[in-house]
Amino acid sequence: LSPVFVEFFVSAPGKVILHGEHSVVHGKVALAVSLNLRTHLRLQSTSSGDVRINLPNIDTFLSWEITALQPLLAGCGGEWRWIFELDGDLLKRLREFTGISDDSTDTRSMAVLAFLYMYLTVFAKSLASITVSVWSELPTGAGLGSSAAYNVCLSAALLSARGAISSPLTPQQESARWSKEEMELINRWAFMGEKIIHGNPSGVDNAVGTWGGFLRYHAGNITPLSWVPILRILLTNTKVPRSTKVLVSGVKDKINKFPSIMNPILESVSAVSCTCEKTLTEMAVHGPSPEHYNILEELIDINQHHLNVMGVGHSSLDTLCRVTLARGLHSKLTGAGGGGCGITLLRPETDTSVIQSTIDELKACGFDCWETSIGAPGVQQHSSAALSQDILKILNSY
Amino acid sequence: RAPMQTREFFVSAPGKVILHGEHSVVHGQVALAVSLNLRTFLRLQSTSSGEVHINLPNIDTFLSWEITALQPLLAGSEQGGLKDLDADLLKRLREFTRISEDSTDTRSMAVLAFLYMYLSVFAESLASITVSVWSELPTGAGLGSSAAYNVCLSAALLSARGNISNPLTPQQESARWSKEEMELINRWAFMGEKIIHGNPSGVDNAVGTWGGFLRYHAGNITPLSWVPVLRILLTNTKVPRSTKVLVSGVKDKINKFPSVMKPVLESVSAVSCVCEQTLIEMAERGPSAEHYNILEELIDINQHHLNVMGVGHSSLDTLCRVTLARGLHSKLTGAGGGGCGITLLRPETDTTVIQSTVEELKACGFDCWETSIGAPGVQQHSSAALSQHILKILSSY
Repeated sequence: LSPVFVEFFVSAPGKVILHGEHSVVHGKVALAVSLNLRTHLRLQSTSSGDVRINLPNIDTFLSWEITALQPLLAGCGGEWRWIFELDGDLLKRLREFTGISDDSTDTRSMAVLAFLYMYLTVFAKSLASITVSVWSELPTGAGLGSSAAYNVCLSAALLSARGAISSPLTPQQESARWSKEEMELINRWAFMGEKIIHGNPSGVDNAVGTWGGFLRYHAGNITPLSWVPILRILLTNTKVPRSTKVLVSGVKDKINKFPSIMNPILESVSAVSCTCEKTLTEMAVHGPSPEHYNILEELIDINQHHLNVMGVGHSSLDTLCRVTLARGLHSKLTGAGGGGCGITLLRPETDTSVIQSTIDELKACGFDCWETSIGAPGVQQHSSAALSQDILKILNSY
Repeated sequence: RAPMQTREFFVSAPGKVILHGEHSVVHGQVALAVSLNLRTFLRLQSTSSGEVHINLPNIDTFLSWEITALQPLLAGSEQGGLKDLDADLLKRLREFTRISEDSTDTRSMAVLAFLYMYLSVFAESLASITVSVWSELPTGAGLGSSAAYNVCLSAALLSARGNISNPLTPQQESARWSKEEMELINRWAFMGEKIIHGNPSGVDNAVGTWGGFLRYHAGNITPLSWVPVLRILLTNTKVPRSTKVLVSGVKDKINKFPSVMKPVLESVSAVSCVCEQTLIEMAERGPSAEHYNILEELIDINQHHLNVMGVGHSSLDTLCRVTLARGLHSKLTGAGGGGCGITLLRPETDTTVIQSTVEELKACGFDCWETSIGAPGVQQHSSAALSQHILKILSSY
């Protein structure tokens, strides 16, 4: 099943945590959701004899001759292992080959390693010359799942090019999704890429990137929710830097300091996630109503207070909440807190001019701000016609 | 019983704030109430005028009655009823003063409480007295102004009648009554509170009587023995609100999201308990910087919980933001939705910082006082103990 000449496009969404960040670490329920800021990938089969990767977001343009890559696979154990666990030896050989040391964790190094590892393990005995170009709407390192979206795109594209999964797009379609079993496979390979980049990831990010929509995450179990609506939001990046590690351990310290005060709050956050899930399911099944939106807004406000109680608030996030609330819009931090990103729920009837003035004011505060949606589809294959001119232009320039 | 002579004496009682537990206390959780050192002062003079005078300059009320006119109101009353309000006496008083059942304005309530207490305490030996009251407390702000008034009345009338002692010795500036006497003062003050509020918890008058910090839980009031005095800013946003509406709003929210809200109530109870432990440690071992850090964290946590309950307000957010910008921590106290807030001051907090904070809060349109909590309850004072300003007001009648 080796393709003669093929070009195709895939995309995968980023991710935000809707409810449950921080308390999920302590065994509580979290809701993760796909963010419709997407990573787009174009794969071309070529006859160049090399493998190229173009990552304009991070100014990375590299290529390797297949003949140089082939030896790295010599002496690998059974290929069957690669679906279940990371091949430490192969990774080591890759690091030596690319000159990326064990300590290097910068974005470029990680992206390259994940790509080469996935390419080699997917194509294995039939290394083919391809060119992969990726363009993302997602900021990196902001907790929005940009690495997972990248890994999911790579996984879907490579598996498809290799023929391990189908090319679901029919000529009439603009976008198409893979089958349930194929998505499982895409997700497993993407998870490998995540392990390379993050060490010990939860798997939520790549699950969201693969399946899209809303996911419940609880005690290590990931459950996609079947019936969910798409919600319009503002996504704001305060750009205030913070250490996720420090914030997570700060929460742990506070729980240990005031257990009788903090443990009920974790419980309350779990209940917020569950109540939100019920409300979303109702919205999708019965159709959304104003009361549904009222409840979603109340839950957002409650959880934002709980996150402040946990100690992961920040004045920049207070500003986001205040600016949006002045226009009747409700916001909460998403992810680690201490700065970083926040989401603001928009109602169907929210005026465009209100949205615009909100975005303007948030940008005036020094924040980045996008109008987008959550609950959007996971990984998809697209026709070139489905892509915006901007993105198509970027991807086609390599 | 000491015979009545021409005599004058001064008492004062503190207001009250809830430190932690407002709203959740209604749902069976632990609350901490504490005396506020904005005080109500009362001067009682025995006269030979044959009249009873009351002067309440804060509410522009100056009234007097002839004893001979009041005497008939007692006919048929049973004596010593400290268990329940004498509804008949109250009814006759309303008719006499022409204060209808519906009237609940401050002036009417203050007059009724005074006359009821005067008649019940003096009973068979109605004496001519003049009572003048001046309060530092704003009324209707949830700061216990009616209880401070009732405690002062109770202590002064009981003392004038000889039911309790005059604890002040010539050398003293201030003195407190004995434990048993305070129980009696508190019971009478509670009667006054019942007249004014219908079904009060009794916390306000307990704080006014005993001062310091009180734990309130499921109807039980426990004064805490070893507690420090803490400096605070007391801010009145002056945003009006209905306590009734706020309380029922919280109830509605609990019913709407029980799994979300009940743990929050639990958490508030824990805040009260941790605060109590910290205060006791501070008083026993001496306060430390870490103690203040904990008190500040608890204030912030509880303020978030109160917002979750839905009793926040933008004016209170402003208070919190203005004070936090100077490293000071605040929370609403009482009903919320506006109303009052308290800000903890640390011993090392600079006078200039306090001053600039007070000014900025006033510029927001709020009233703001630098005061303290945990101060003494009802006391008798010498005239020398009072500020010139207060002495002047009380002595002008």
